[in-house]
Amino acid sequence: TQPLNLSLPTFEFKEYMLMKAKQVNEALEEAVPLRNPIKIHEAMRYSLLAGGKRVRPVLCIASCELVGGEESLAMPTACALEMIHTMSLIHDDLPCMDDDDLRRGKPTNHKVFGEDTAILAGDALLSLAFEHVAAKTMNVSADRVLRAIAELGSAVGSEGLVAGQIVDLTSEGKDVSLSDLEYIHVHKTAKLLEAAVVCGAIMGGGDVSEIEKVRKYARCIGLLFQVVDDILDVTKSSKELGKTAGKDLVSDKATYPKLMGLENAKKFAGELVDQAILELAYFDAQKAAPLYHLAGYIASRQN
Amino acid sequence: MRYSALAEGAKRAPPVMCVAACELFGGDRFAAFPTACALEMVHTASLIHDDLPCMDDDPSRRGQPSNHTIYGVDMAILAGDALFPLAFRHIVSNTPTSLVPETRLLRVIAEIARAVGSTGMAAGQFLDLEGGPNSIEFVQEKKFGEMGECSAVCGGFLAGAEDDDIERLRKYGRAVGVLYQVVDDLLEAKTRSDKDEKNKKRKGQSYVAFYGVEKAMEVAEDLRAKAKKELDGFQQYGEKVLPLYSFVDYAADRTFSNGD
Repeated sequence: TQPLNLSLPTFEFKEYMLMKAKQVNEALEEAVPLRNPIKIHEAMRYSLLAGGKRVRPVLCIASCELVGGEESLAMPTACALEMIHTMSLIHDDLPCMDDDDLRRGKPTNHKVFGEDTAILAGDALLSLAFEHVAAKTMNVSADRVLRAIAELGSAVGSEGLVAGQIVDLTSEGKDVSLSDLEYIHVHKTAKLLEAAVVCGAIMGGGDVSEIEKVRKYARCIGLLFQVVDDILDVTKSSKELGKTAGKDLVSDKATYPKLMGLENAKKFAGELVDQAILELAYFDAQKAAPLYHLAGYIASRQN
Repeated sequence: MRYSALAEGAKRAPPVMCVAACELFGGDRFAAFPTACALEMVHTASLIHDDLPCMDDDPSRRGQPSNHTIYGVDMAILAGDALFPLAFRHIVSNTPTSLVPETRLLRVIAEIARAVGSTGMAAGQFLDLEGGPNSIEFVQEKKFGEMGECSAVCGGFLAGAEDDDIERLRKYGRAVGVLYQVVDDLLEAKTRSDKDEKNKKRKGQSYVAFYGVEKAMEVAEDLRAKAKKELDGFQQYGEKVLPLYSFVDYAADRTFSNGD
């Protein structure tokens, strides 16, 4: 099932993703140089430059370009999103949290650098994200940069990522309803994806209605992202995923396949893609192509 | 988050210094309040994480049990993680733009983020844990001087201070921040009994442990003089500079006047 718009035959999505990811990687490399103290910067770089598909940065850039902005306007924010995402993974993997040994196919940060350094590396990535946006964004008016910072701030804090992680931790081993599950995912995953898309549109100069349209798109793919993650967790091996598979079942965590069955979860994923694409109808089809394809990509990814 | 940020034992030195520095250059104190609160938030977040068992392993802070003792290590980490971004958001959402141009707020945000980051306070904490060849002066400047420096400088930014005045605030704030800590270490040494010594878990270094009481008192006097020397550069502002002077004496005299 590929619900992609067939009127866009010329768009080479795979090349687009590779090209954007390469640019993001170069910008990240430059944003976190190996300086003193060496080990803490090594720890930051170890997780930040570990590969990953750079979905959040690419969403941010694609959204910026959708509303007519140049890539460079959104690049510092794109890097910041990856820093924040990486930081949340480092802290989530800690022994006192999800206690994971494997991430992106490599030993987790605390396994390599120790818990203390892993916590500090996460903290440093979090603050660097805000510093990077505030200090490195060029040719965007200060009020737009501040709006993006506020958007980022609400996506990661106690009303965003942290809220999701807390409910996730406290619901382990308990009966979790579908609405609890949705709360966890909206906060742990969807809000940052939303911030990625919305910040891209803000930096690109989007107007209020454009920003609202991409926000709705982002909400759909945010939930989609997690539904697919849950499906992959029961259908793929650790090796294919690059992280410990089946962990959600072992630790008795609520997942979509567990609550609604695998087939229904897949169907739900399909509905979310359709809804996301519907939100893009307002925009020029050519310019919206990357975001169309990103929705399909998130639905059909294999790891 | 509230337990640690609103602790009664908090002295609020960073926020008060920020407001005082802002007023020195004619800035409105209401312009500085959101940033002042943000400074307290990031400061609190750093303290919560520094106290964790895998870090300094401190069971108490600000006269009450430390955050992880009450809420557990996982919640303590997350509370810290939430306070950092809240700080930045608070500045953006609550500073009246009629009083502070937006470009100044961007400088404030970048400054705070730098101060707590991998070349600032996080670096200090890391080097303190690691031990190794770094001088205690360097570690303490990072761990404690950065917060003072950042607090003073942000006040200056908010009021639109000139670059050379910002430089003076930097040196002043850094000296006061370290001074506070040296005096804290002296106070602790005075009140600590042999029994406490055995229970002491804190891994971090202190001036007193390193140099002994007498040398630490000399260091404190040097820092006091250094901070005041920077303030001499603000003579043209008249008595508006007095709050910043009293900061120095307050930080220093806690130990010399009484031993409680």
